[in-house]
Amino acid sequence: MHIKKLEDTLDDLYETDGIEACILYRIDGIPIAVRASNDSSILNIMFWLEKQISHVLRNMNKEVLTATTFEFKNNQVIITPSSRSTVLVTIIDPEAHQQLISIEIARAKSLINQCVS
Amino acid sequence: MIYLDERIVTGIYGLDNLLGGGFRKNTINIINGGIGVGKTTFGLQYLLYGLNRGEKGLFVSFEMTEKQILRDCKQLGFDEIEDHIKKGNLKIIHLFGEDLIFPSLDFIEMIRESLSEDEHHRILIDPFTHYSMFLNEEKRKSLSTIFQNLREHSTTVITLEEVKVKEPNNGLVTPLYLADTVLHLHYLGFGEFFDRTIRVVKHRGSKHGDGLYPYKIESGLGIVVIASEHDIEKVTPTKEFDKQFKLAIERSKHMDKIGKILAKRFELLRNNWSHKESPEHILKMILDSENK
Repeated sequence: MHIKKLEDTLDDLYETDGIEACILYRIDGIPIAVRASNDSSILNIMFWLEKQISHVLRNMNKEVLTATTFEFKNNQVIITPSSRSTVLVTIIDPEAHQQLISIEIARAKSLINQCVS
Repeated sequence: MIYLDERIVTGIYGLDNLLGGGFRKNTINIINGGIGVGKTTFGLQYLLYGLNRGEKGLFVSFEMTEKQILRDCKQLGFDEIEDHIKKGNLKIIHLFGEDLIFPSLDFIEMIRESLSEDEHHRILIDPFTHYSMFLNEEKRKSLSTIFQNLREHSTTVITLEEVKVKEPNNGLVTPLYLADTVLHLHYLGFGEFFDRTIRVVKHRGSKHGDGLYPYKIESGLGIVVIASEHDIEKVTPTKEFDKQFKLAIERSKHMDKIGKILAKRFELLRNNWSHKESPEHILKMILDSENK
């Protein structure tokens, strides 16, 4: 079932070392599925994201970007469109293994695309 | 008599689990959304679920005539509606919104006359959009009275078309705050899984799912909401922490005046606790602060 596969994909991604949260948003900024701790810094980023998603996506589309990274004080936020109507946001520890994380994000993105398209 | 804790099954496949069992009896439930999201289908499904189980229904249509309703129902596979009309279980009132700009109490009288005494009814008002627009303070008060009257006789589903307000003071108001439940249906139009989604915006006095749930409109079934096991688990009460609750209830009983009230509240919390985390920390914090 699509929804189960989607949930499992996010669960797997969230278990990757250095990933502090992963959120699947609809392109209008409404969260579809969230895997995150109750840490206040993560919640603050999520509030920020909800207002920014559609604006960031518009600009990414204009500039033909496949991913965008935002640097916060203690976190890095990677925004990756995962289908025509969804976007995967991953919040990571900046000291984490970047290469491993980017491979995991790419894998998750492809699975999400299969589930929702 | 109004019974607030009884539930009325919505008839929408997959939705009741997310609403704590359904709509609360004798409430006003608004289905809000843009054009083509399935508001009327939702309403028809709600009516038919009850009618097929021997309940009575009333459809106040501000748009479609009885003939159009029958035609649309047949296309959806809801053929049995014709029988319910013939047998008098379902009554249809067709009105023009333009004729009822001021929400007069005659409207309530008209509904009251169509209902049989002392019997709970499922009422569908579709769409209420024109009626609820351009309301000033006085007229809104009248709308509140209408809602209160409807609550006495029925559990009502009202569909409202989403109105984009350009200027906050131009009088275009959707009175969502007057309803007990507000469900928002959205259609994105990208042809993907999350194209059609439903959100529980408000479900007064009840636990409910707080996510964004995809749904489909299927022939013969109508609206089918697709929530994951994880989503349902999040709103299903668990007995896993009963021991902690019993301990807190026992402790509260030894407190003075507030003890009895607190024990009752803990009992309610225990019956509704659906979190994976233990309530130990919260219970201790409450006991400490109430004991001051």
